[in-house]
Amino acid sequence: MQELQVTVTNNVRIADGIYQMSFRAENSIQGLHAGRFVNVSLGRADMVLKRPFGLFDFSADGREFSICYQIVGDGTREMSTWKKGKVVEVTAPLGNGFTLDGKEKVVLIGGGVGIFPLHSLKCSYPNCEYSAFVGFRNQNVACHVDAFSSFAKTYFTTDDGSFGERGNAVDLYLKHAQEVGADVILACGPTVMLKALKAKFAEKGITTKTYVSTEERMGCGVGACLVCVCGKKDANGDVKKVRVCHDGPVFDMQEVEL
Amino acid sequence: MKPNLKVIVCGVEFSNPLIAASGTYGFGREYAEFYPLSKIGGVSTKGLTLKYRAGNPTPRIAETPSGILNAVGLQNPGVDSFIENDLQWLKETGTKVVANIAGSSLDDYVNMAKKLDGLVDMLEMNISCPNVKEGGIAFGIYPDSVKTVTSAVKNAISKTPLIVKLSPNVASIKENALAAEEAGADCISLVNTFTGMAIDVKRRRPILANVTGGLSGPAIKPIALRMVYEASKAVKIPVIGMGGIMTAEDVIAFMLCGARAVQVGTANISNPMAMAKIAVDLENYLIENGISDVNELVGGLII
Repeated sequence: MQELQVTVTNNVRIADGIYQMSFRAENSIQGLHAGRFVNVSLGRADMVLKRPFGLFDFSADGREFSICYQIVGDGTREMSTWKKGKVVEVTAPLGNGFTLDGKEKVVLIGGGVGIFPLHSLKCSYPNCEYSAFVGFRNQNVACHVDAFSSFAKTYFTTDDGSFGERGNAVDLYLKHAQEVGADVILACGPTVMLKALKAKFAEKGITTKTYVSTEERMGCGVGACLVCVCGKKDANGDVKKVRVCHDGPVFDMQEVEL
Repeated sequence: MKPNLKVIVCGVEFSNPLIAASGTYGFGREYAEFYPLSKIGGVSTKGLTLKYRAGNPTPRIAETPSGILNAVGLQNPGVDSFIENDLQWLKETGTKVVANIAGSSLDDYVNMAKKLDGLVDMLEMNISCPNVKEGGIAFGIYPDSVKTVTSAVKNAISKTPLIVKLSPNVASIKENALAAEEAGADCISLVNTFTGMAIDVKRRRPILANVTGGLSGPAIKPIALRMVYEASKAVKIPVIGMGGIMTAEDVIAFMLCGARAVQVGTANISNPMAMAKIAVDLENYLIENGISDVNELVGGLII
C-alpha cells in the first residue's frame, strides 16, 4: 500500500445519485486486486477523513482504476463536483480482496452499491464462469447492467419490480441455486442483506463456501487506529476483533460476525 | 549548515520533536510500511491495559467539522503481549518508544508501570480513563486524583521517566498540571481528546455506538494551544504539546507556547505520510528562517 497522487480522468453520473470516477497514476500501482479498496482524500481541511471505495475495475498495467460511489454525505457530494484533470491523493490499494485460486464456477450476489467491488473480479480472474445476482432498489438506481452481463450470466432484481424481477438478489439466487451450481459464492451489499444471506443459507443447509465483503466506518484505512473492527471466529472458535480495512474487508461468511 | 532538530526530554534524546500520538499509530507496524520510523522522534504506543481489551462496539468513529470523534475503548492486546510481541520490533526501528498505559484502578497503573520500567524510553500515563472504583470519574478530572495516581506510579518505578497525559475535560488545566508536577511527574503531555457527540439526524441516533467520543483534529487546536500555554507557564517540568497538529507550522506554534516536543495524532489518520512530511517541512522551515536549533523556539512566544 502507498500514498500517491492520481489524476481524475473521468467523473460521470451513472444512475440517480450514483457516479463513476476514473483515475490515472503516473506509475503502476502495486497490488491492485479484486475486492481491494482505495481511500480517497477530499483535499479539504474541514473533512479530515479519507473516504474508502472498492475498486470497480483497474487496468492490467496498474496505472488506471475506477470506483463507483453514491452521494450519501458531504464527502461524496464534494467528489461529485470533481472534474477531469483534478489531482487527488489516495492511499491504495488496501484490504485483503477476493482470492479465487482454482475456483471455476463463481456466484456473485450483490446489493445496491455492493455490486461494484464484485465487478472487479473480472479484472483479476477473467477466466472463471460467473453467475451474478444483482439487486437494486428500483430502476432509477440500476446501473452497469451491461458491465455485469458482459462477464457474468446476470439475473437482476429490484425491490419494486421496475427492472428485472421483483424481489432481492439473495432470494433470486436461492431460486436458481440448483441449476446455477457454485464452487464459491461471493457477496457484497448492505449488512442487512449479508445477514439475510447467512440466515437463509443456514436455514436451507447451504454449505457452499461463501465470502462476504463487509464495511465499517473507517479511520486510517491501513490498520493502525482500530476503529473499523468486526468480530471473527478464530481456529478455536473464539471471537476476536479484527480490522475490516486490513484483515478484511473480505471474510469467510461462517467466521465473521455481521 | 543543517539545523539541529534533536530535542531532549527528561534525558531522552529524540531525533526530532515529533512523537506519534497514542491510539493513532498502533505499535508502528502499519506506518512502517510507508516510511522508516526512524524519521520521527518517537512513537507513543496504543494505550495498554493490564489484560487484553476488546474495546467498544462500532461505529467507533465519526467525522466532525475539521475533526473526528473516536470511541475505540482502548482495544489493545494487553501489556504482556506488547512486551512479548511488539516492543523489541519497535525499538529496532530506531525511534524512541513511549509506552502509553491506561488503567481502571490504581493497581492497574502500578502493575503496568512496574512491568515496563526500564524496558521503554518513557512511560506515558493516560489518566482520562474512568476510575471504576470512583463510579467511573476519570483519574484525570480532579487535581487530588491526578496526584494520587501520579505518585502511586512514580513510587513504583525507578528507571523510566514518567509523562502524565492530562485530560482537557477539567476545570483548570493549570491546577491539574501543577498537581501532576507536585506528585512527581517528570513530564506532562497535553491535550487528550475533548468529550463530544455527533448525531445522525435522519436516523435520530448518535453516530457512535458509545454515544460520546473524544474529539481531536484541527478543530481543537486553538483550545489545545491555550492549554499548553497555560500549563507551560505553570510548571517547570517539560511539556509535550498536542491537539490538531497537521503541519510544521502547527508544531512551531505549540513549541512557541512552551512545548519541548509535540505529538501528532489525527493527521496520521488523514494521511499516512503526514509525520514524514511534517519532519521534512520542519527542517525546511528552520533553514528558510535561519533558525539553527529547533530548541530556540521553545517558549519563544512574544507577549
